[in-house]
Amino acid sequence: MPGTIETYFDKLERTRVWRSIFRSGRGTSKLHNALAIQQNVFLHLFPTKVRKRMLGLEATWYLGTLTLGTFIVLVVTGILLMLYYHPSVPRAYSDVKDLQFVVSSGLFLRNLHRWSAHAMVFLAFAHMFRVFYRGAYRTPREFNWVVGVVLLLVTLLLSYTGYLLPWDQLAFWAITVGTNISSAVPLIGDKIRFLLLGGHLVNANALLRFYVLHCVILPLTAVLFLAVHFWRIRKDGGLYVRETEPGVTGADKQLSNQEQGSR
Amino acid sequence: MQTNNKSSFSSLKTFLCDPFRMFGVVSVLLLLLLTVAPAKDYFSQWRSYQRQYLNLIRNRSNAVTLLRHFQGGIQQIWIPQLGVIDRCQTCHVGVTESSLSDVKEQPFRAHPPIPHKLTEFGCVVCHRGQGAATTVSEAHHSKMAGEEPILPMRYIEASCGQCHHEPLEGTPKLNRGRLLLARYGCVNCHAINLPDGSTIQATDNPPPLTHIADKTTREWIYAWLKDPTSYSASSTMPNFLFSDADASDISAFLIANSTSQPGDSMAYPATASGSASDSSAGAVLYGESFCASCHATQNAAGNLVGGDLGPELTNVGTKVKPGWLMAWLKDPHTYDPTTKMPQYRWTEQQLQTLTAYVASKTDPDFVANVHLQPATQAQIAHGKKLVIEYGCASCHEITGIPKPDNFAPDLSRVGSKPLVQLIFLPGMEQSLPAYLAEKIRRPRAFGPSLHMPKYSFTSSQIEDLTTALLSFTNRSFTLPPNLQIPAVQDTNYRPAGHAGQLMANINCLSCHRINGNGGTMAPDLSWEGSSVQKPWLDAFLKNPNTLRPTLIRRMPKFNLTDSERTVLTNYIMTVYQTPAFERDEMPLSGYSPDLVEKGRQLFYSKYACQSCHMVNPNQDKGYIGPTLTTVGARLNAAWIFHYLKDPQAMRPETIEPNQHMSDEDARALTAFLMAQKTISGQGAK
Repeated sequence: MPGTIETYFDKLERTRVWRSIFRSGRGTSKLHNALAIQQNVFLHLFPTKVRKRMLGLEATWYLGTLTLGTFIVLVVTGILLMLYYHPSVPRAYSDVKDLQFVVSSGLFLRNLHRWSAHAMVFLAFAHMFRVFYRGAYRTPREFNWVVGVVLLLVTLLLSYTGYLLPWDQLAFWAITVGTNISSAVPLIGDKIRFLLLGGHLVNANALLRFYVLHCVILPLTAVLFLAVHFWRIRKDGGLYVRETEPGVTGADKQLSNQEQGSR
Repeated sequence: MQTNNKSSFSSLKTFLCDPFRMFGVVSVLLLLLLTVAPAKDYFSQWRSYQRQYLNLIRNRSNAVTLLRHFQGGIQQIWIPQLGVIDRCQTCHVGVTESSLSDVKEQPFRAHPPIPHKLTEFGCVVCHRGQGAATTVSEAHHSKMAGEEPILPMRYIEASCGQCHHEPLEGTPKLNRGRLLLARYGCVNCHAINLPDGSTIQATDNPPPLTHIADKTTREWIYAWLKDPTSYSASSTMPNFLFSDADASDISAFLIANSTSQPGDSMAYPATASGSASDSSAGAVLYGESFCASCHATQNAAGNLVGGDLGPELTNVGTKVKPGWLMAWLKDPHTYDPTTKMPQYRWTEQQLQTLTAYVASKTDPDFVANVHLQPATQAQIAHGKKLVIEYGCASCHEITGIPKPDNFAPDLSRVGSKPLVQLIFLPGMEQSLPAYLAEKIRRPRAFGPSLHMPKYSFTSSQIEDLTTALLSFTNRSFTLPPNLQIPAVQDTNYRPAGHAGQLMANINCLSCHRINGNGGTMAPDLSWEGSSVQKPWLDAFLKNPNTLRPTLIRRMPKFNLTDSERTVLTNYIMTVYQTPAFERDEMPLSGYSPDLVEKGRQLFYSKYACQSCHMVNPNQDKGYIGPTLTTVGARLNAAWIFHYLKDPQAMRPETIEPNQHMSDEDARALTAFLMAQKTISGQGAK
């Protein structure tokens, strides 16, 4: 009975609890829609208004969104993997083996994490190429480009620190080589290596450090910069769409300058 | 058809153009993809095996019992102190069900009986493979990083050797392999350290080459280097595959490097050789001295007859110079102080006879075609370089060349060598056992610059050696110490004093074992003084007769002087006594006839000793144990009594069964045996 359900929802939306959570109120006016976006802590990072053209595939190929998607997949699978994994020398490798052999769908979980990680690196690069070749990094988006570069570095570091965690030969030697490269930095190279490994050898300390970097420090950094990244998209005038984009023609450039001045 | 396709395609396109429909389709596809993971989990290999197992046991008579024992799901043996997590029983469900021993198809066959429990060691400790895995390919064949593939069954004895460093009854291959490693001097070049800190010691006794020019000729050395087996089939010297020039240079260097040792050669009268009477007298002396107990010769059929303690003598006349041979027979210690050969006290005449006989064992073809030019200094120098390069001094003592350290790779952990560290020959099986076997079979195929010589091992010997090598694993070093069962190590016991010198001279320890040191060919003499009566020992040393007529190897006659014999007898009687009892606590004679008669009945009826022993040679047939016809004149009563009570306490290796006799029975039997002073039944004959 659709009528009854509608009445039920109607009642629900009038309750005090509902109204204290969803404050934009009822209604379908543009104001209501705008308030719905603006008053939501998650959505307020995004512009309240988006041109329909920006949402087309041609505008961005969704590369940034896909990168974010893989990041979310990585966070979810990563948290699940953390339930089975001890960052200790005697347990790490056998925990990975247990994931493969005895945890239900453990191999699927691990592979999902692994392939998403590869995909995220690939997508982040693709996203940057797309931005670069379309000229979307130019004023006023140059700051967001820099944020993007930082995010790329964080992505690469996440990928690199995750490499050690299976604690197999591949991991061991990859990290040995990687940290040796870092020791080639003039003057402070050896200190950096010591800082990364927590010692002079790839051993229990290195495993723990990489685990903490991979599961806490780098993801938090990534989330922080992601927030800034999305915030800047909104503040820099939304997604870049060539036809309407300020800064392409002279008139638009002036307009853009005025806009910037008004903010 | 084509239009039909086209229309259906365009209708699909319009269907998908609606974003909501598109979203729905993509969601369904994603859901389908996600079901793959649990589906793969459900249709896993081990579940399928467990279903097959249930089908298998359903039709068996003890289905109820088997079903009660069956537990579904992943099964594992977890032994933290061994680092074992074995999930093999997930698929090998019936491995502990002895009633499934007739099942042929794996993975359901029951494990054959072994002395260990499955829960004690798991599976991987012996079989290798990846215990954590739950798929066949991963568990059995994975060669990734640290994983070892399953050990082929023909090498399985290697796994016993990880803990058991002493020979075991059930591991003939492993025991033979270990003996070969020592016997062929593998361990002279390759160090093999055992977990208890000891090392495997070589038993090949390579002769010193310091005075080689006194013993043999350059031509013989050359021919020997080229192919040792053509001189002696049982040679432990391998073939280094030298070129003609290299063999010539090495022989030149060894002769030039040899120094003369005073007294290791004597004038050998040319007339002494060749006569027929000498030859037969020599053969008799050779036999009487029981040379064949230690030295083998090839008979007409090509079989080796004799012991392997000393070198094969089939063609020894081709090798040694007669003057050297005679000096050697007179006193071998002059030429080689560490030799195992005893000094016989032969007369000058006997020496000549024996020298002539032994020197007549020749193979003229061996050096017939060897014609060497006198060597230049450059060639000698090159020979020296080769001798150093090929590590000859690892085995042989050579003047001026020290024994090299770490000449060849250490093999202490060769059984765990990762496959990634091996370089295989094209086309060969890529496994560690195959690599080891091939490396022994064709060492030089792995690289022309390698120095490893080629041995003429048979296929089964190579399998034995590979088994022994595979037992030297990492795991054997990481095992808890209480699981290590070390091999019995020889002590460095040497008898002291004047008697000790005499015993060193006739090398008692070459064959007899005393206080944990010495050979195993002859009985252990540690408690000989408690065991035998002094007059018997004196007579035995004067003229050794055998106690075990079925044995080929016998105690030789050393022609000791009366005073030497007295020294030896007194020493043995005084020093080699057991602390377990007082030798003279029971009288040697004077037992009541009733007791003797009771002992006789016990001997023949209750204990049926005549099955293995002989008291009356006319009626008893036992020949497994020593004859007891004159045992009353040979052994002490107290020894017999205690031996009957617990044979293994007196001689741990004896096969005499422990009958758990009462003191009364043992005393009666002792009385009966002590009554056997002379061979009985001879009067009746």
